[in-house]
Formats: sequence, structure tokens, C-alpha cells
Amino acid sequence: MRELIAESFRYRELIWALALKELKIRYKRSVLGFLWALLNPMLQMLVLTLVFSKILSANQYHYAIFILSVLIPWTFFSQSLSYAADSIVGNGDLIKKVRVPKLVFPMAAVVSNMINFLLSLIPTALIVIMMRHPFHWTWIYLPVPLLALTIFTLGATFFFAVANVYYRDVGHILQILLQIWFYFSPILYSLDMFPAQYRWLFKLNPMIYVLNGFRLSIYWGLLPAFQSIAASFVCAFVALAIGYGIFQKHQDEFVFYV
Amino acid sequence: MDSNDIVISVENITQRFRVIHERPDSLRELFTRFFRTNAQFHDFEAVSNVSFSVGKGEMLGIVGRNGSGKSTLLKIIAGVYRPSAGRVVVNGSIAPLIELGAGMHSELTGRENILLNGLLMGFTKAEMLEREQRIIEFSEIGDFVDVPVKQYSSGMYMRLAFAVATEVDPDILILDEILAVGDVPFQEKCFERLRNFRESGKTILLVTHSLQQVTDFCDRALLLDNGRLMLNGSPEEVVSRFHSTALPNEHELIEAAQ
Repeated sequence: MRELIAESFRYRELIWALALKELKIRYKRSVLGFLWALLNPMLQMLVLTLVFSKILSANQYHYAIFILSVLIPWTFFSQSLSYAADSIVGNGDLIKKVRVPKLVFPMAAVVSNMINFLLSLIPTALIVIMMRHPFHWTWIYLPVPLLALTIFTLGATFFFAVANVYYRDVGHILQILLQIWFYFSPILYSLDMFPAQYRWLFKLNPMIYVLNGFRLSIYWGLLPAFQSIAASFVCAFVALAIGYGIFQKHQDEFVFYV
Repeated sequence: MDSNDIVISVENITQRFRVIHERPDSLRELFTRFFRTNAQFHDFEAVSNVSFSVGKGEMLGIVGRNGSGKSTLLKIIAGVYRPSAGRVVVNGSIAPLIELGAGMHSELTGRENILLNGLLMGFTKAEMLEREQRIIEFSEIGDFVDVPVKQYSSGMYMRLAFAVATEVDPDILILDEILAVGDVPFQEKCFERLRNFRESGKTILLVTHSLQQVTDFCDRALLLDNGRLMLNGSPEEVVSRFHSTALPNEHELIEAAQ
């Protein structure tokens, strides 16, 4: 773990340059460019509002913000994973020709999606104001769940980046897994919509604690309980220890498989 | 040779590759392994038990037929491969020109590529900005530096790649059949630059099929065949032995064809 921190610091300029490269390529030749990062949550918001508040007439107050508060961190997580799963394989040509620390590739994928996430907070704030939802002071708490989410995401990205090197099926499996995971996470609903006896099932999902932090601070204007914060960080560090452990063990072999 | 002057020490290295005969990278292989116990791969030694050392300021040529293990050897020294057995000790920074333009990205501009390539080779952003102007001048790409490299002619592309790799001022330069690129005047500049490298006491490893270059430039040469070091001697010795070993094989081929 110490090596991870030292290496990331040592190669911070490279990670940053790779992350910017990724963003640049993602938005290249699109007329709106970076604006897409801002527009995406806006458009999602519009759809959610139309579908849920008008058509399904959900009785949740400001349902769109209720969803958006956790949908944006979820998007960060799922996009990072999708990009990172291909990060080693996709940079295979480079890995075969230049000696480069392998961890920079999944890290860069996470960093570029982090930039996207931070950008999408701007339209989220705008929507909160436009819908006259209270703009809670608890927004300043957001760096805490974001830190836990980033650590968790890094762990998962390291794992899937390695798995995809050995079995290219992983990239496809991941997409299905992410969809299932999405519906089993309290994103479109909240846990108290379920009878108490089923709630333990959801507590097996390591994502619920960190998502809870986002929803409480953006939508409800509350801070999570200490146990919930602790649980989110425990899940995050366990994921990172496992993911990076596997990554570190196999990184010298990547060059033979990509 | 004084042991303090040794910059590269290669001790008994062996590099084995696993050659897999069927599509290796899917879950299908995982399943077939259960049913077929006989392996669908064989191990093959690209480099077998090779030892040599290179002194400071030496220019070492490496010759051998295709598939003799030259490039694999360079990649081990450059740190791209971790050898299956043996040890490599390198004192000093290496600019590995295993393949010109390995770190180039076609969507990025020349200037962005200069930075990204430098970072990939382990230099800092400040170091690269300092060298940027010299790289642009040497490569003679002029205003094209701010154009995405996909719009470059192949000559411009190679000149930029060569300029980046050699302007970074490494202690050890590794050249894999890319001694001279571009038109004749630019080739002359490349040779000029290599002479300057030698005069300033830098170490150069050169893999080439041009025996002329070996006798003209190198202080010493290695002859590789089937991954084994056949001869470590003066360029003249190596070139004459290369001729005498290469010819019988050609006869064999002709006989085999008849």
C-alpha cells in the first residue's frame, strides 16, 4: 500500500497527462466538447423528472434530485470501471515497448472520470437551485464520501484491469455485473421503501454506505451516522487492498499477455 | 575494464515465452483446460543464458539473424521484460528507442506528444518543457508542432520521435534498427548526434542488420543466434563470423526447398 502511494506520487505528472489525454480523446470532434460533461447530468435529470414525477407521479419530494444525488457518484464508479477494465489491454502496445509503471493506466482512468464527476457537480448544483430544493450546507461534507468512493473505485479498477488481461470476457461480464449492481443499489429507491426484514440483504452491498453519504448530504441535508461512514471506509480499503494486491502480484506478467 | 566503469551488466539471463496455440485470452481456454490435460502451449527460449557487460562510453553492436533474440535482449535491458532467470544491473538513465514513436498518440499534437513521451520515459514536466524548444528545432517540424500528429507525414513523425528520444540526454541509448530516419540530410544529423553522444561518454547499444554500421561505429559487437551468445568480440570478428554462420544456413534452406 505504501508502494502504491509512493508510485502514484512519483508518477503524478504522467497520470495527470494520461487522464487529460483520455478526456481529450473522449470529447474530440464533438462540437460541444467538454460541455458534454455538464450536459449529461442535465439531460439525465430531464428524463428522470419526466418519467418519474410526471408519468409515474412518484410521491417522493423532488424525486429527480433524490436520484441524481447518487446517480452521479454511481456514474463515476461505473465509468471508471468500464474505462479501467480496458486500461492495461488498451495500452498494450505501450507496455510492450516502454518500461512504464503499470498502475498509471488504471489510475489515469479513475482521474479522468473524477474530473468528469467534479464537472457534473456544477449542473447538479444548478438543478438544485432551479428546482428550489434547499441548498444544504452539508454539501461541504461531500469530499468525505468522495474519498471513500475513490478508494473503493481504485480497488475495483485494479482488479478488473488485471482480470481483463487474462480473460477478455471480463469486459463483457463487467457490463452485465454493473447493471445488476445498479438495480441492487439504492439509487432509484431508498432502503426504507423495503420491509425491515429484507434490508440486511442490501447491507451486503459495499456501495450502499458511500452512496448513503452522497444522498444524505445533497438531498436530505444530513450527515451519515458514524457507523455508516466507518463502514464505507472499511469497504473502500478492503477493496483497495485486494485489488491492488492482485495487481501488484501480476503486473510484471502483463507484457506477455497484452 | 575497471568494474566502476561498467554501466550495464547482464548476468546469465534467460527469457522464456509461452507460445499458446489456441486463442488464449478467453474463458473458453479456462474450460478446455479441464478437459484437455495436454498443454496447448509450449515454452520457447528467446534468450538463453546470455552474459556480458558494457562499459561507460562504449558503443556495442548486436547482430544476428531475425529471431535470434536481439530485440528481446534489448527489451530486458530496457526493463520492459523481467527475465525468467538471471539478472541485469543498469547504472544510469536509459532512453529506450525500442520502437520509434511507441509513446506517440495520433490525436495529440506534437507538443503534447513531446511532453507525454518524456513523462513516459520517466522525466518530469519541467525537464521536458526545458527541452521542448530544442526538440522542435532538431526535428524541423516547425509550426506543425501544434497540429495532431496523425496529420504528419511519416518522415515528420519519425523525426519528431527521434528528436524526443535523443534530446532527453540519457546515459544509455538503446537503438533498435532505427539509427537513421528521414531523408539524407536528416540522417546525417542523426549520425552527427550519435557521434556527439559517443564523444560525451555515453553508452550506446545498437541492434542493426547493417553490418556496415557495426564496423563503422561500434567498439565491440555481440553475435546472437537462436537466443545464444555466439561471440563477444571486435566488430570485424563478429561480422566475419556472422557471414560464415549465416551462409551455411542459406544453403540449408535452398537444399530444403529442393
